[in-house]
Formats: sequence, structure tokens, C-alpha cells
Amino acid sequence: MGFFSKLFKGPEVDQEKSRANAKKMRLLFNQVVENGDDYKLIFGYTEDVARFNYGFVHGSKTKIGNLIVGWNEDSETIVVVPTVPDLSGCGDPSWYRRSEILKAYRNKYPTDAFIIYPDRKSYIGINAYDWLDDESLYVYVSQETELAEFTDFFTNRFAKK
Amino acid sequence: MPLEEIGVILLVLVVVFVLGQLWFHLVESVLNRIKGLFSRHKEPPAWHPLPKEQEDTDDI
Repeated sequence: MGFFSKLFKGPEVDQEKSRANAKKMRLLFNQVVENGDDYKLIFGYTEDVARFNYGFVHGSKTKIGNLIVGWNEDSETIVVVPTVPDLSGCGDPSWYRRSEILKAYRNKYPTDAFIIYPDRKSYIGINAYDWLDDESLYVYVSQETELAEFTDFFTNRFAKK
Repeated sequence: MPLEEIGVILLVLVVVFVLGQLWFHLVESVLNRIKGLFSRHKEPPAWHPLPKEQEDTDDI
């Protein structure tokens, strides 16, 4: 392979690091969710964009929340566990059972996020990609197959109007 | 346009940028303190650290 083809190939996934992080995600998830092995996992994140206007300075601030997202096809349940990019710990899980939620759909604009409304007052928008390179903001994990499976489950089994 | 004028314009832009940054961080810190006053009595959310992996102790 020539120098230029290597140069223009773009960033490549460090599979070893990705596998180690996938293992950590599983450990954290199983720690807080009973029968955690019954769930498949992907990494997702939420984006909270807030606009501010401080007189002559105005703009927007974006907060990223990292999530371990587990889903069980038999019980049609999604479990969301908050975490941090280095996977040093996690918070308490939130459960979204299809039979109990108000609605769920795949958003198209501004991002193709997975939106769940557990009730009329609250919602969660889960963004997920095959791989995100920025380790300071996101969990470093490659999840092409898992994301395809989750997308299929969400759109064909979990979505609700 | 003479170089001096370009330099002055750039200097003014830098001053505006620095003042904007200072103002932003000042307002942010004041707002955070006010928020902190209201959330002092709230319990922090539960946090579970990553469990250490089980090591094999049967080696010896």
C-alpha cells in the first residue's frame, strides 16, 4: 500500500481498545441490571443544547451524556445506564418497556436519534453511531453490527405511535 | 490599507474576544453559584464504579 493511499484512508478503529471498552460496558451494565446478559448492548449518547444570551456575548452550549443502552427483544424493553467516556463508573438504570411508554420513534431531523417518550412530560433522545473517534467526549467502541441490530429492533419492534 | 490600521483592527478584535471570554466565564460562575445554592440539599445521583475483574488466585 502506497504512502498516499495510507494518508487518505482516514482514521482506523483500534479494535483492541474497542473490545476492552465493550467488555467494560458489559461489566458496568451487568452490575446495575439484573440478568444483564439477557440484553444486547450499544453505546449511545444524549445531547443537551442550551442557548445563552449574556448581553453582548451569546451562543450555545452542548452537554453530552454518555449512555450504555441495553435492549431485550423478547420483553421489548430498553434499559439506559448513564456512564462517562472512560467507563470508570455508571449511574442507576432507567427502564423503558414498550407496554408502558407513551411513544417511541426514530427521528430524522436534526439528527437521526432514537426518541422515547416514557410519558407526556419527559423524553430521551438517544444518538448512536458505528464509531466515534473523540475519546474525551464519547466511549471508544466500534459497534457497526450491534447498531444495525438495535436500529432494526427499535424501528420494527419497539417504535410506538 | 496601511499595516498600522490592519494591526489596530486586529488588536481591537483580540480585545473584544478576550473581554467576551471574561464576561462569559464571569456570568457562568455567578449562575453556577446561584444554582448551587438551590441544589445544596439534593442528594447526588447514585454512582457505581467499574468493578475490578476477578483475578485467578489458584495459580500457586
